[in-house]
Amino acid sequence: MAGVDLREVQRLVVEAVMRPEPILASGSPGGVSLLRPSARGMTREGRLEVYRDQFWQRHVPSLVEDFPTLRAVMGEATCDDLLRRYLLASPPRGWNLQRLGAGVPAFVAAHCDGLAHDVALLDWAFMEVFDAPDAPPLDLRALASAPPDAWPLARITFLPALRHVPTSHPVVALRVAATRGEPWQRPAAATSRAVVWRDAACFLHAADVDPVAAQLMIALQAGQRLGDACASVAALYPAIGAEAFDANVGTWFQQWTANGWLSAVEV
Amino acid sequence: MGFRQRHAIPDLGVGVGLRSPHVAHVLRARPAMDWFEIISENYFADGGVQRANLERAVASYPLVPHGVSLSIGGADPIDEDHLARLRALAARIRAPWCSDHLCWTGYAGVDVHDLLPIPFNRATLDHVVERVRRVQGELGVPFALENASSYMEYEASTMAEQEFLAELAERADCGILLDVNNVFVSAYNHGFDAEAYIDAIPADRVVQIHLAGHTDKGLYLLDTHSDHVRSEVIDLYRRALRRCGSVSTLVEWDESIPSWEVLSNEAALARSVRDETLGSASKEAAWRASI
Repeated sequence: MAGVDLREVQRLVVEAVMRPEPILASGSPGGVSLLRPSARGMTREGRLEVYRDQFWQRHVPSLVEDFPTLRAVMGEATCDDLLRRYLLASPPRGWNLQRLGAGVPAFVAAHCDGLAHDVALLDWAFMEVFDAPDAPPLDLRALASAPPDAWPLARITFLPALRHVPTSHPVVALRVAATRGEPWQRPAAATSRAVVWRDAACFLHAADVDPVAAQLMIALQAGQRLGDACASVAALYPAIGAEAFDANVGTWFQQWTANGWLSAVEV
Repeated sequence: MGFRQRHAIPDLGVGVGLRSPHVAHVLRARPAMDWFEIISENYFADGGVQRANLERAVASYPLVPHGVSLSIGGADPIDEDHLARLRALAARIRAPWCSDHLCWTGYAGVDVHDLLPIPFNRATLDHVVERVRRVQGELGVPFALENASSYMEYEASTMAEQEFLAELAERADCGILLDVNNVFVSAYNHGFDAEAYIDAIPADRVVQIHLAGHTDKGLYLLDTHSDHVRSEVIDLYRRALRRCGSVSTLVEWDESIPSWEVLSNEAALARSVRDETLGSASKEAAWRASI
């Protein structure tokens, strides 16, 4: 291979290492000609195969670990095959193996049913909050001294390590069962909203939330003041009534505070 | 003055790699251990449990970051985000040095997350020297490169690996992380003399030694970090110690990770070998390292 530059060497080796089938079974890739046979009798193809085998042994289990609910729903063999096809369609990019599965929910949406997509979204939300930025805890004393008429102008900031998961099935209980290795039943389709978050002690949680509450959270996260956010979301649900909506907001706010979802309230 | 003296590289003693199954025990019980090596990329995030654990661990132990994804031998440009995060990590834990591997990990943005060997020739050497200089200039702490284990060799290689590594370290003025198990594994796989390899490494540039177990796959040895350190590797370790003197040693165990007791016993074994070897050779090694 005298005269072959480093870029060409690396292009050919990467192409060979990412082959889905063993090198001996899939024809000699260009990278083979770059290599010497080993002093111990390994062929050039056999030497490349060590790296090809490692590629799949490293990445498929990594994705399997990241998507436990998806694997429970699809079955091990079907899910592993899907994850291999995902790796071929979306080769790993960048140093961060934690981000390897970023495209899995979209890939699942294109190839599987709605429940599989829902659980993939939930599993991925866990990956995102695992190492999302930290935030200082909410100072509740500052809230206690805020005058009542200041609240409509309040801006509320949620944890960076919190994700909304809109799904067409309730899947939180399914993930709990899957990660514990317990039996589970396919849930009936129902518009659902889950929140996944990391608490101050770095434990990860998921909870189903009221879809209206979720909508209010999203409006607040988009930067709307509390009064404006309440007005815009309440207008979408006139059947609730203004008084009941205000009462709900009080309950939700207490839940958000109790769950530690708020990182700052500017009043 | 040698590299270690010039950069005041400390001898941290014998440590182990800090891995997930042991983190809770280490943080709770604070067992005796000279130091820990951490996988750099596992601690690059802006938040979460890994970062929190790091803050607690650094209060009790010296920590040294060891990377697997810098791709110093890659044809792609150096990943600026990776480099910035490594710099920040080294500063956050007050690392005495940091290290990565003499290898490449991907091409055209694709990262195969493996330590792939480079062709050992003049053109690659020039390329890697320039990149190591760049990295070392950015990091703010001494940088060392580890000899990676390998399973293939290129027709384009015109230099022995140890010759390449020694010249690279001299020209780029960087340290060497001498992985004795990797020397043994690659020597077996490629049919070179492991002792000659150790003897060719510039002793004053060795800032750290790695020990690990490997797996015999028949036609080749695989660097699995999944077992006890083999006696042949311990023999090579003695040879390296006689040449290099009091150098920090680290036991790696990354697959089939055993109990803390087994792992700490493995470190104790390395410590006894080190004490026994350096007892008679430390003066000579100290002299060698100083010239």
